[in-house]
Amino acid sequence: MLKDITIGQYFPLNSVIHRLDPRVKLLYTFVFIIMIVVANNFVSMLFCVICALSVTLISKIPVKTVVKGLKPILFIIIITSLLQIIYVKTGVPLVSFWKIKITSGGLLEALFMTMRITFLIVMSTMLTYTTSPTSMTNGLDRTFAPLSRLGIDFNIITMIMTIALRFIPTLIDEVDKIISAQKSRGANFESGSIFKRAKMLIPLFVPLLFNATRRAYELAYAMTCRCYNGGKGKTTMNALKFRAGDWTASFLTVAFVAGVIFLNINFGEYNAQFTFNTAV
Amino acid sequence: MALLQTENLSYIYGEGTPFCVTALDKVNIEIEKGEIVAVIGHTGSGKSTLMQLLNGLLKSTAGRVLIDGEDIRSSKAKTLETRFRVGLCFQYPEYQLFENTVYEDIAFGPKNMGLSEEEVDKRVRVAAKYVGIPEYAFKTHPFDLSGGEKRRVAIAGVISMEPEILILDEPTSGLDPRGREQILELIKNYRDRTQKSVVVVSHSMNDVAKIASRVIVMYDSKVLMTGSVQEIFDQSEKLSEIGLSVPQITEVFAKLHAKGLPVSEKIYTTEQAFLEIKRVLKGGGVNA
Ligand SMILES: Nc1ncnc2c1ncn2[C@@H]1O[C@H](COP(=O)(O)OP(=O)(O)O)[C@@H](O)[C@H]1O
Ligand SMILES: [Mg+2]
Repeated sequence: MLKDITIGQYFPLNSVIHRLDPRVKLLYTFVFIIMIVVANNFVSMLFCVICALSVTLISKIPVKTVVKGLKPILFIIIITSLLQIIYVKTGVPLVSFWKIKITSGGLLEALFMTMRITFLIVMSTMLTYTTSPTSMTNGLDRTFAPLSRLGIDFNIITMIMTIALRFIPTLIDEVDKIISAQKSRGANFESGSIFKRAKMLIPLFVPLLFNATRRAYELAYAMTCRCYNGGKGKTTMNALKFRAGDWTASFLTVAFVAGVIFLNINFGEYNAQFTFNTAV
Repeated sequence: MALLQTENLSYIYGEGTPFCVTALDKVNIEIEKGEIVAVIGHTGSGKSTLMQLLNGLLKSTAGRVLIDGEDIRSSKAKTLETRFRVGLCFQYPEYQLFENTVYEDIAFGPKNMGLSEEEVDKRVRVAAKYVGIPEYAFKTHPFDLSGGEKRRVAIAGVISMEPEILILDEPTSGLDPRGREQILELIKNYRDRTQKSVVVVSHSMNDVAKIASRVIVMYDSKVLMTGSVQEIFDQSEKLSEIGLSVPQITEVFAKLHAKGLPVSEKIYTTEQAFLEIKRVLKGGGVNA
């Protein structure tokens, strides 16, 4: 159950995407997210989806894993879709009951939003799947290095982010272990009334918080013992270098941005009526 | 028919991902009533996984676990029943304490079993006695105890369910010699008084020699050997091949024997060593 939470996890494989410069991945993931929000019709959305799927295939991350990673946001997708279906009144009315009218426009809008959210998440998880925590910090550090001139010490922020990412799997393991241990003492986490289940959170969260705090202290001491003092002027073992793959990725990203803009202009903001009619 | 038994039990972590690990491979073991079984093997050999399968926390990839000859997964009720009959105490159990008082924490298991208040109270007191927690400490906050005390409270939390088979995963790891001694003592006590079975996972050959009536050696996700303490420690070469050793005292006596002293090689505990030296000093020869 908890093993399904894969957001923030690194998936060590050897693919072109894994070898890209982390700065490149960070920046271009950001670009992709902007473009999928900018995409305003089904054609450009489909284009984004195809690009995201290609990246997924090239990264060699099993599709099953990517799909599993979407489970936690299923709820958000369902709620968003429901709202679209209920509130959008454009297009051809299809069914109506009680106060709710379902129209073709609502359905299409729901589909559109689902595609947008799904692939936004797919690409974001792709970033953490293919980038090890160390190279992620490295990338973040370098990307935001100019900020240090404004007096912001980004080293500390990236360190906090890295530690947070690094400890997600550890905490998940810990939760699993505590659940198993309390289950061995007959705790029942899966059934019973809501009140009973809420009460069952105590045997889970008390030890979890206690252990997390203990771990945080231990880590802080260990870092202090190894002379960590905020990381100012820190150098890195593997200096980042722009390679052929990074140039290719840059070129493809520019092409992608141009493609989305072109399709946006060419097909215009999608019109439920129009799309529905042509679809039929 | 054994009380608890496994049939070609296999377990794979993360099946279908690049992280998949075979943790158990066709394991067949039996646990009889009233014995203390020690499970030894180096880190990663699958000991903890096996223990979690035995009380039905994990679902086997292949093979079955039988209690009284019945599959523990035959029904939901059976699985729940097994949880209570096979009490598992995890490694570092002190990190799972959560209640406000020692008493409440020990009572958590029996309460979940749906026992009456008097019965719960009785069991908490009995379990606390086994682990040597005095009654005046019942109102203490568990987080205020020392590491060894916390560990004993956590073990009491499992003993209070009065399981037919008590499983302890590395109960002495990370404790000082006195703490270790207390835990070993309580395990023996529990078995002697209740005639219930105990399974102890351990790294320490000295511990194993002290308490076990039977030993299971795990290596590379499989059971490599099983036998009495003597049968296992007689094969010291085979043990060292897989990175395990015999108890220190056994090594000492093997070396003394090799030097031509008239002592037996088959000494596994300091008590035996004491008696053997006494015997030799009185002028006896090797009687092996
Ligand atoms: N939760 C888990 N997820 C993935 N692999 C695991 C997990 N727990 C244990 N393993 C792996 O299974 C193997 C057996 O582990 P374990 O049963 O804990 O061994 P032991 O208790 O003998 O040290 C090891 O290779 C370990 O890395
Ligand atoms: Mg273990």
